[in-house]
Amino acid sequence: MRRLSPTPPILSLWPALALLPVLISIFISFHNGGATLLWEFICAAVHPSIQAEVVQSGFRGIQITLATALLSWSLSSICGICLGIASARVVWETFLGESWPAIWIRRILAIPRAIHELLWGLLLLQMVGLSPWVAIVAIVIPYTSLVARVVSDQLDTQDRRALRGLKQAGAGSSSALITALGPAMGPVLLSYIGYRLECALRGATVLGVFGLGGIGTDLQLALQSLQFNDVWTALWLLAAVMFSLEQILSLIRRYFKFSKNGIWQIFIMLIVLLILCALSIPWLNAVDINLGEPLHWSPLPLPTVDELVNAIHALPWIQLISSTMLLTVLAAGIAIGTPPLAMMLWPSRLGIAIQRIIWGLLRLIPIPLTALFLLLFSKPSLAVAALALGAHNIGVMGRLLQEGLDQQSDNNLKALSATGAGARSAWLYGCFSGQSRSYLAYAAYRMDVILRETVVVGLVGGTGLGWQLIESLGSFNWAQVSVLITVFTALTLIGESITDRLRYHWTGFTKKLPMVVDLQS
Amino acid sequence: MRRLLDIRGVFVHSSRGSRLNDINLSISSGERVALVGSNGSGKSSLLAVANGSLIPDSGKVLWQNYSTSNLRQRQRQKIGTLWQDLRLVEELNVAQNINSGALANRNLLWALANLLGPIELKACSECLEKVGLSTSVLSAKVSELSGGQRQRVAIARLLRQKPELILADEPLFSLDPILAEEILHLFLDNTMTSDMDEERTLLMSLHQPCFFQHFDRVIALKSGRVVFDQPANCLDEEALALIYGSA
Repeated sequence: MRRLSPTPPILSLWPALALLPVLISIFISFHNGGATLLWEFICAAVHPSIQAEVVQSGFRGIQITLATALLSWSLSSICGICLGIASARVVWETFLGESWPAIWIRRILAIPRAIHELLWGLLLLQMVGLSPWVAIVAIVIPYTSLVARVVSDQLDTQDRRALRGLKQAGAGSSSALITALGPAMGPVLLSYIGYRLECALRGATVLGVFGLGGIGTDLQLALQSLQFNDVWTALWLLAAVMFSLEQILSLIRRYFKFSKNGIWQIFIMLIVLLILCALSIPWLNAVDINLGEPLHWSPLPLPTVDELVNAIHALPWIQLISSTMLLTVLAAGIAIGTPPLAMMLWPSRLGIAIQRIIWGLLRLIPIPLTALFLLLFSKPSLAVAALALGAHNIGVMGRLLQEGLDQQSDNNLKALSATGAGARSAWLYGCFSGQSRSYLAYAAYRMDVILRETVVVGLVGGTGLGWQLIESLGSFNWAQVSVLITVFTALTLIGESITDRLRYHWTGFTKKLPMVVDLQS
Repeated sequence: MRRLLDIRGVFVHSSRGSRLNDINLSISSGERVALVGSNGSGKSSLLAVANGSLIPDSGKVLWQNYSTSNLRQRQRQKIGTLWQDLRLVEELNVAQNINSGALANRNLLWALANLLGPIELKACSECLEKVGLSTSVLSAKVSELSGGQRQRVAIARLLRQKPELILADEPLFSLDPILAEEILHLFLDNTMTSDMDEERTLLMSLHQPCFFQHFDRVIALKSGRVVFDQPANCLDEEALALIYGSA
């Protein structure tokens, strides 16, 4: 019997099988009127509302979202760089000769990273009431931790020979670290921090969908009242801002590409972050968002041990955890398998161009809105939640794969095409095979993100830890909230550790992560 | 002899100037042709034009009277190329790489099945044996093989493709003299012992004058132009000076 030894390209396509149960389930629960609504939504894309009040509201909303994103991004980047340096083993080893403080700081930082910004937003909302700071701090907490992790990983995986050489030559610890490790950090930070701005914009939009203001709130209100033309006005505005940001960041990267001085790049970046941070506050004030309003601090009541024990007994853990895992696996399957499957089936230039547009649109629409949109023609179910979560992440994975393919030489594709291989087979062997290993490595990381994001679609799924968490928050059951957050954090950290191993396996590295994973995470 | 490849008035330009300049030549069935010329003379461009992967700026390239830019899959399969950089798929093992030579005759499902676990191992083994490699390397990753083994795998892939015309772009480049001789004989033997009715045709670019005697004909390029196109035994010192000289 032939022994199966699936190769990376086939392992990347395999997860697309998740589409089958999800689509069948949605098809079965498809209800009357759904097709009409779907058609109206598609038609509205080319007829967005141009009524003065809708456009004005959209402009105000996008300004609030953009300023919130800029402020939270710049704050989290500055804090993340500082904490990243503080949690790097190499730094402590150079100063103290021991690395345990770095290990502890990293462990502590793993907790804020494991909790999605939406959850932070909902918790902060309970603590300080409705304030513009809620959205900002909700983004700053997990993003700081994410930036810190990448900074410390990058510092710890650099070659230390130069550092040792400088120390032996009598250089001080600080100057040796800056001279030996600083220059290589410039391009990495520039690329990664730039990417996080796009994430912050998406995060601010999602928080808006949950009532924290900005374009997200406009989108949610318009979709709930079936004003598809208004939805598209907001979506096109969001698309324009995202596209402009992408272009600006790419221009900045291109400008700095020719500057060899990494330290200079970091210095300029910190100055720019501080300036943007300072400018965002008056910008928010200009659109009537008063950051100076006093906060109504009401700390969350600490549950007693008895309450915690009761909460543990009251919740159906097996069902909650298994449905969260199922949701993660289905959404990750859709997100990982669909882009290569679609590109393999339509590898022509036109096909790829259409797919690029679709990936862009899927990235653009916030996950809860995709879920709400799917609910227009389907009953709430785990399948709807998985499709909404998967669809958004298809956009992210599709873009990443396309970028990887664009940077790759097309020599193998030409060679396979010259043998007479069909366009699909030639793409699979000559094009995708070369990218499949790094694609799988990134897919492993993306599974972590998807697990964290299950909380966003919890309500739609009507099941899972995310749903239960929002239910418990709504009923002010702090004991359940505490236990659920603890379990969710533990699950995320276990998932992170498993997917880290998978990443190392796919990239063939034992320590160093592939740059693409670092930069896109 | 049947005419296989016709190149008529072909020009290829690049930002650095002309890569091919008014090329006119034809290759007939069973011919073994050496393509010579100094670095940058246009040999690789000519081979790329011949297999249809490079579209000329003007002129025609015909494969059995059909333009190479519009060939069907089955027709394209008749032209096999050994690229200078081999272009093996590093993620796949030896058997899967050899099978990739047969993609022209197979559908997408077959291509996917081959990625799940190599198939048609008997055919792969036969090709490996013809190039003098043990079948024990069938499941090895190509990235783990030595340079010489990789070259043989690329030739095995070519044999699996079963082309009528083999285009080889400097396959002897950077090989030691003994290995170069071995690889050259693999081509010459496999063109003569083809499992088809007719002999395979070979157009190989190379630099070593000592090997020219093994070919029926020598075509020399200089600055993108054909400066010599005669039987191999007509190649003398004067001709070599013309081909490789600076004037």
